[in-house]
Amino acid sequence: MAGTRGFQKIGEFLYEIPVSFREGMRVPARFYADDELAAAMAGDRSLEQLVNTATLPGVVRHVLAMPDMHQGYGFPIGGVVATALPDGVISPGGVGYDINCGVRLLASRLEAEQVAPHLDDLASAIYANCPSGVGKGGQVKLKPGELDEIMEKGARWAVRRGYGTEADLERTEESGCLAGADAAKVGARARDRGKDQVGTLGAGNHFIEVDRVEHVADEALAGRLGLSPGQVVVQIHCGSRGLGHQVCTDYVNLFQKAVRKYRFELPDRELVCAPLSSLEGRDYLAAMTSAANYAFANRQVLAFHIRRSFEQVLAGKVKNFGLYQIYDIAHNMAKIETHVVDGRRRELCVHRKGATRAFGPGSEVLPEVYRDIGQPVLVPGSMGTSSWVLVGTEGAMAQTFGSTCHGAGRTMSRHQAKRSVHGAALRQELEAGGIHVRAGSLGGLAEEAPAAYKDVDRVVGVVHGAGLAKRVARLTPLAVIKG
Amino acid sequence: MTHSPQARPPIRRFEEVEHTADRALRVCGRDLAELFANAALGMNSLMRPAACGRPSIAKEIELEAIDAESLLVAWLSELAFWAETESLVFTHFEFFGISATRLRAVASGDRVGAFEKHVKAVTFHNLVIRSQAGGLTATVVFDV
Repeated sequence: MAGTRGFQKIGEFLYEIPVSFREGMRVPARFYADDELAAAMAGDRSLEQLVNTATLPGVVRHVLAMPDMHQGYGFPIGGVVATALPDGVISPGGVGYDINCGVRLLASRLEAEQVAPHLDDLASAIYANCPSGVGKGGQVKLKPGELDEIMEKGARWAVRRGYGTEADLERTEESGCLAGADAAKVGARARDRGKDQVGTLGAGNHFIEVDRVEHVADEALAGRLGLSPGQVVVQIHCGSRGLGHQVCTDYVNLFQKAVRKYRFELPDRELVCAPLSSLEGRDYLAAMTSAANYAFANRQVLAFHIRRSFEQVLAGKVKNFGLYQIYDIAHNMAKIETHVVDGRRRELCVHRKGATRAFGPGSEVLPEVYRDIGQPVLVPGSMGTSSWVLVGTEGAMAQTFGSTCHGAGRTMSRHQAKRSVHGAALRQELEAGGIHVRAGSLGGLAEEAPAAYKDVDRVVGVVHGAGLAKRVARLTPLAVIKG
Repeated sequence: MTHSPQARPPIRRFEEVEHTADRALRVCGRDLAELFANAALGMNSLMRPAACGRPSIAKEIELEAIDAESLLVAWLSELAFWAETESLVFTHFEFFGISATRLRAVASGDRVGAFEKHVKAVTFHNLVIRSQAGGLTATVVFDV
């Protein structure tokens, strides 16, 4: 569906593709963009993928895409699709393979100038303490039965084991533990893949970044979050590792049969789904929730190793090197939530694939500390550029089932990025810009080159302008650690 | 039916096609066995393993699925699983039986020190095995 034929601009930053566009659409498809981002979206197959999601049984109001949307498989990355309980569907492809891929933000009480002389050592210590790369196992040895506990308790398990504090849990989406997990619904292969990966970063676009708060857009909100100009903070971007990948693989495979059983006609086999009320649907939700809890535990253990790295490098050199948690959010997830649709409160399954929950002020599910300002939203940009801290809004609740963007969004394929960017040269360029880089693979570094991504400031400008989130602070990198 | 790099067919076995976020391969084969072997070799090329020696490890693989596309995903997922959990790269494939819904094969390969890239999963996205002049073709999208 390359080109702009078929979509209409219905707001300053909002476009709509009506149900008349293609047979089988049950609701309109809407996406948020400015003119330049809309043109970029029309350049790959993401809009076609968005239209495909509008054919899912039980889909409600409209399917949505955020301004960082790009082509994925099945759902586009940046897609938000809500289905109504009890008989609407849940789709593993609507969550993706990296279940509860997300971002955690830790903050220090240090200024960038205080850390600058130690940054190289800090990057090395984090790289050494946080295992990264393909299939790399971690330092956490699990006792029999402990993997089940991780899947059912999430970050609570990690805190009980001494990897964090209650304050970390309070500042984590769902307090780091989603209800409804059932580890018995997770297969043997997923367990095999996950058993030694707790506390590991993995590869691909996952990273740890030491950042500086470069700009505060809203002083009052930044103050409430504990952010100030010049401050050193740390982002962790990763998910449920091999365990989550295998849960999705297993259920996408299983659901190939389910769609025949329920006689669903779908435009793409990666969209396979089952009614939320069915045994298959309930089993997947319980398994996905288990993998999501594993991801919360994973980021909690990584946070512990980062705190340990700060202590190893900075103790005795600077005071107050401790890190406290700002928030931890998921951007690949399906969750049962209550939203107002056509004036009526309804129980929905909200699929966010490359989209972030962005609940506004007053939401009962937010921790007390943030309830009056809205949920913190963490939007990592491309490597070497910048990232944003936002807060959720009432506008997001009204327009997007409480959702907003999750990153910059790719524009260039990994293949193309590797052809046009040389990993060693990119590393030199980043280091010349004062960014300390630790990367296991120069090829992997090239694939994540800033040139392969959209401009995160533009993406954030759209969600801010459309009222889907409020800008709070912009972060720029001091050190990047990648698998 | 043995398929190894030495027994190279006179067609392009696989080629990468552009995909914005992930990796995609167009794979060809004169029959299902060759298509599956070439898909496995193509996936190896995405993972970029460190140099591997002569095949010294063999695994018997038996799979069933509802159709040929599901069988292809199951086959590649099986090999990706061994790559992640045991650092195994398979380069030679002997099929003792293959149909649209079932296969029995021995995959031979070696353990490698590291992979540059991680194949997280093999997707069904727009996956169709098509007949074309001279054999079969399919485009497989990998989550990386």
